[in-house]
Amino acid sequence: MPANHSAILKRQNAWAISFLLSFVLVIAVGLTSANAAGALRVGVQLEPPNLDPTSGAAAAIDEIVYANVFEGLTRINEDGTVAPALASAWTVSDDGLIYQFTLREDVRFHDGSGFDADDVAFTFNRARAPDSANAQRTVFENIKRVEALSADIVEFELIEPLGAFTTYLGWGDAVIVAPESAATNASAPVGTGPFQFERWRKGASVTLKRSDNYWGEPAKLDQLVFTFIPDPTAAFAALMAGDVDGFPNYPAAENLALLQNDDRFKTLFGTSEGEMLVAINNSKAPFDDLRIRKALNHAIEKQAVIDAALFGFGTPIGSHFPPHHPAYVDLSAHYPFDPDKARQLLADAGYPDGFKTTLSLPPPAYARRGGEVVAAQLEAIGVDVTIRTIEWAQWLDQVFANKAFDLTIVSHTEPLDIDIYARSDYYFQYRNDAFKRVIAELQRENNPTRRQSLLQTAQTILANDAVNVFLASSPKIGVWAKDVTGVWANAPVQANDFTNADVIGRAPLSAQNTATRPWPMMTIALLSIVGLLSFAAFYVRASPVFLLGRTVSMIFSLVVASIVVFLLLEVAPGDPAAFMMGLNADPASVAAVRAELGLDQPALARYFNWIGGLTSGDFGTSYTYRVPVAELIAERIWISLPLALMAFALSTLIGIPAGLFAAAHRKKARGRIMMGAAQASVAIPNFWLAILLVMMFATTFRWFSAGGFPGWDAGASAALKALLLPAIALAVPQAAILTQIMRSSVIDTLHDDYIRTARAKGLSFNDALRKHALRNALIPTLTILGLQFAFLLAGGVIIENVFYLPGLGRLVFQSIVQRDLIVVKSVVIILVFAVIIVAFLVDLAYAIADPRLRDRGER
Amino acid sequence: MTNTSTIDGNAATPRASFIAGSVIVSTVVLLAILSFFWTPHDPTAFDVAARFSPPSFTHWMGANHLGRDVFSMIMVGARVSIAVALVAVGIGVGIGAPLGLVAASRGGIIDDAIMRGGDLIFAFPALIVAILITAIFGPGAINAIIAIGIFNIPVFARLTRGSALPLWNRNYVLAARTAGKNRAQISLEHILPNIMHLLVVQATVQFSLGILAEAGLSYVGLGAQPPTPSWGRMLAESQTMFSFAPWLVLFPGLVIFLFVFSMNLLGDGLRRRLDPRSEGVS
Repeated sequence: MPANHSAILKRQNAWAISFLLSFVLVIAVGLTSANAAGALRVGVQLEPPNLDPTSGAAAAIDEIVYANVFEGLTRINEDGTVAPALASAWTVSDDGLIYQFTLREDVRFHDGSGFDADDVAFTFNRARAPDSANAQRTVFENIKRVEALSADIVEFELIEPLGAFTTYLGWGDAVIVAPESAATNASAPVGTGPFQFERWRKGASVTLKRSDNYWGEPAKLDQLVFTFIPDPTAAFAALMAGDVDGFPNYPAAENLALLQNDDRFKTLFGTSEGEMLVAINNSKAPFDDLRIRKALNHAIEKQAVIDAALFGFGTPIGSHFPPHHPAYVDLSAHYPFDPDKARQLLADAGYPDGFKTTLSLPPPAYARRGGEVVAAQLEAIGVDVTIRTIEWAQWLDQVFANKAFDLTIVSHTEPLDIDIYARSDYYFQYRNDAFKRVIAELQRENNPTRRQSLLQTAQTILANDAVNVFLASSPKIGVWAKDVTGVWANAPVQANDFTNADVIGRAPLSAQNTATRPWPMMTIALLSIVGLLSFAAFYVRASPVFLLGRTVSMIFSLVVASIVVFLLLEVAPGDPAAFMMGLNADPASVAAVRAELGLDQPALARYFNWIGGLTSGDFGTSYTYRVPVAELIAERIWISLPLALMAFALSTLIGIPAGLFAAAHRKKARGRIMMGAAQASVAIPNFWLAILLVMMFATTFRWFSAGGFPGWDAGASAALKALLLPAIALAVPQAAILTQIMRSSVIDTLHDDYIRTARAKGLSFNDALRKHALRNALIPTLTILGLQFAFLLAGGVIIENVFYLPGLGRLVFQSIVQRDLIVVKSVVIILVFAVIIVAFLVDLAYAIADPRLRDRGER
Repeated sequence: MTNTSTIDGNAATPRASFIAGSVIVSTVVLLAILSFFWTPHDPTAFDVAARFSPPSFTHWMGANHLGRDVFSMIMVGARVSIAVALVAVGIGVGIGAPLGLVAASRGGIIDDAIMRGGDLIFAFPALIVAILITAIFGPGAINAIIAIGIFNIPVFARLTRGSALPLWNRNYVLAARTAGKNRAQISLEHILPNIMHLLVVQATVQFSLGILAEAGLSYVGLGAQPPTPSWGRMLAESQTMFSFAPWLVLFPGLVIFLFVFSMNLLGDGLRRRLDPRSEGVS
C-alpha cells in the first residue's frame, strides 16, 4: 500500500510539473517581446490644444513642435543665446529698423515643397494681420514691412527699434510656415525641422518621425513619441514601468529622491525661466506702502519655502530674473530674513499689530505647499493670513484679469519677461515711470553691453521697490532613462529640442519592424493538450470515458466563457469605432471604420470571427494603440506569467512545510503560533503587503527598486529581482491558505486506519507522518495548488499596479481608462482560458493520483 | 479565491479569540454607524494647514496630502466596505441558498444544471470578472457589489446543496414526507433550519473576503468614487508619499487587516459554537 502510494505520488508530481511546463511553453512559443527601439518616449504633463505654435499661446504646443517640427529664422540655444537657423546670416541697419536675412537654400518642408523668402513674408504677414491668432501679435505688429528681395533674401522694416527682435524670431510664435499648409498645421503640422509629424492620438500621444530631407544634421532618433501624463502619480508610475523614457519637466518632486537612488534613471537639473514669487497687489492698501512690502520681504525665509515647496530644488532670487542669464544680478540677500526688522517696518507703517490679508493659491503643488510656509512666516510677524485655494480658471479670472487679490503665489515661466513690470495694467499693479523708461530704452537698444546694464538696472529697481517677494528660480527637473542622451537640461524657451537626442544601445527601428506574426497560439495550445492527453491515457491507462468527459466539460466551459465575455462586451455602452475616431470624426469615416472592424456584421458572425481569430492568434487591433492586440499581450505576458510562477513556487515552498509543521506540532505552542501567523496572513490585503515591502526593502534598505521592470534583456537575475517583491506579496496570503489546508489534510490522514496500523506496529509518530501521512495529504493539496496558480495569474493584476510592472494587469487598467475594450476583452478571455485549462489539468493530475476518482469518472 | 471553507482557526484560546474578534468587528461597525452623525473632522474638506500632519491629538491617524483627517476617512470608508461586503453576501445567500435547496430537493437534471452553472462561475477568475464588469458599466460601489456578489452565489449554492443532501435521508424528513408535506415546505421548515449555522459561518468567511475584494477593487480605482473615502483608494493615493508620510499607508491597511482578521476569528468562534463537531478536527 505505501509503496503504491509513493509511486503514484512520484508519477503525479512528474505530471503536475510537466503539465505546467508545457502550458507555459505553449504560451511562450512564438511570443516575442517588441521593444520600442530607436524611439524616444517622452512624458509631458499637458496635451496641447493644437499643434500650430503660430496660432496658439499654449506652452504645450512649443514643448512638442518647436525646433523638432518647426523652425524659425533664428533659434534659441540651450544656453539662451540666439543662433542662426533658417536664416544663415543677417544684418541690422544703424537705426535698428531694417533687418536683412539671408536664407538657407537647401531647406524643404516636410511635404516636399521648397522654402524661400516668400514663405517668410507669408509667415510674418499672417502673424501681424489684424485677424492673426498669434500670441505675440503685439511684437509682430511692430513690423512695418516684410519683403522678399530675392528667393533667399528677406527684409524687415520695423516701426520702432526692437533690440530683442532676433530673439523674438527664435520663439515658437515666429516659426516659418508654408502657405500651402498653414491652415492645417493645427492638426497636421508641416515644418522644416528634423522631425516630421506622424500621428496625434487625441488624449494620449503625439508621434513624430525623423525627416529624411532635413537640411541640417539629421536627427538621431527614428521616432519621438510625446505621451500626455497629467497626473504626478501617474508620471511616477509611467517612469517606473518603463512606459516612457523620461520627462523633460518631471512633475512630482516628492518622489525625486526615490528616482535619484534608482540607477535606471538620471536626473537633469537645469535652469528654467521660471521665477516663483509671492505676487503682491501693489495698488491695494496696505501693500501700496513700500514699508509693508519690505516687511513682507524680510519676513519670508526663501530657503524654507524652497525646501517645502520645491523639495529643496530651487535657487533663491531677489528680483524677476533667472540666475543663469548673463545679465543676472544676485539680489537674493537684498532683504535678509529678519522677522524683527519686518515687525519694525510694520509698526513704522502704522500696523504694529499686523493686518488681515488673504493668500490665493493656484493648484500647482509648489504654490499650495509654498503657500503654507509663507502664511506661517507672515503669521509670525503678526499678519493674519487666510489661505484661499483656487483653480487655474479662477486664478486667471480673479487674480490675473480682475486683480481681485492681496497676495498670490505663482511661477512666471516666460523667458526675459521683466518687461511685464512696465505694464501698468499687469496684475501686480506696479507703476514706476523710471522703470518704464529703462524698459523702453532696453527695447530700442541693440548694443549687447548696454542691454545688459539696462537689464541689471531694471532688476535692481524691482528689488528696491520690493514689488513682489521674489522667492526662487525653480529648476527644470528632467528625469530620463540612463541611456537617453542629448536632451536639454535647461529651458531657455518652453521647448524640448530633441534634434541631438539619442538612446544608446537600442537597436534601430528597422530591426524591430517585424511584421506581426499571427501565431496560432491557441491552436498550438489545444493540439499540445490533446497530445498530452493521449500520452496521459496511455501512461496511466485512465479510462477514455473519463478523459473524454473531462475534455468535453472543459471545452464546454471554454465556449460558455467566451460567450459570456462576448455578450458582456456586446452590452458595453459606446461604439468602438466612434471611440477610435475621436469626437470630431464625420459619420462616414466612422462607418468605414465600423466596416473595417467588422462591426456592421450580425452578432453571431462577429462571435465566430472573434473565436476564429482567437484560435489563430489574431486578437484584433487595439483601438488606441492601433497595433495588433496579440503583440501587446505578447509583450506583457512575459512579466505576468513568470510572476505567477514565481509566486506559485514561493507559496508552495512556504505553505506545505509550514502546514506540515503546524500539523506535527498541533498540540504545542509552536504549532498554534504557526496557525495564528497563517490566519493573520490570510487577512492581509496583498496590495498593502506589497506597499509595506516596498517601504521596507526598496525605500529603507534600498535592496530593490520601488517598482518597474528592467526587461529580460537586462539579464535574468535583474528581471527576477524585480519580480521578487511582487511575488512575495502575492504568495504570502496564498501560502497561508495552503498552510491551513495542508495542516487539516495531514491531520485528517493521521486519523486514517493505515496510520493507526502503522503506529500500532511501532512506527514512530514522525516516521508515520513522513512516510505515510505526508504523501497522502499532498493529494487534496494538489487541487488547491492548481486553483492557486490560476488565482495568482489573475491576482497579479493588482500587484502589478503596485509595482508598476508592465504586465497584463497594467495593460488591462490602461485599456479600461482608454476604453480600449478589445484589449480588455482579449486579456480577460486569455486569463479565463488559462484558469479553465489549469483547472482541467489539475483535475487530470488529481485523477491520475487517485485511481478511485478516475474509475468513477467524477469527484 | 480558494480559501472559502477551509479556515481552520487559531486553536490557542478559542474563546478569547472569539471575544477579541467580536469586539474589534463591533467597534469598526459602530464607528461606521457613528460616522453618519459625527466624525472628528470633515472627511472631504481641504485643510491646507493640516497637510501631512503626523498622528496627533487633533489628527489621531494623521492627515493626508489634502489635509483630510485619516481617521475620519477610515470611519466613513468603513461604511462603504461594510455595505459592499454585506450586500454581496446577501446576494450570495439570497440566490445561492434557494438554488442549493432546490438542487438538493429535486436532484437529477435540475441539480446537475445548477451545480454545473456554479462550476462555470468558479472557472472565471473573480477579480478579472469584477474588473470586466466595472470596465463595462463604469466604476462604483454598486458595480463592485454585483461583481463580488456573483461569486458568492455558487459558494452558498454548493454549501447548501452539500449539507442539505444528507438531511433528506434523515428520519424527521421522511416523517415530514409521509405527513404529506411537499419538497418546498420540507426544505424551508426542516432542511433550512438545520443548515442555518453552516450558512452563518460561511457568511462570515465570505464577508471578510468581500472586504478584501472591495479594498482591492477600490485600490485600483474601480470601487467607490471620490470624494467618497474608501480604504483601498486611501492606500492608492498615498502610495508615493510613504517615504515622508508613512501613516497614510499604515493606518488604512492596518484597519483592513484587523477587520478581516477579527471577522475570521469571529467566524471560527461561531463555527465552534454552532457546530460542535468541527472541534473534532483539531
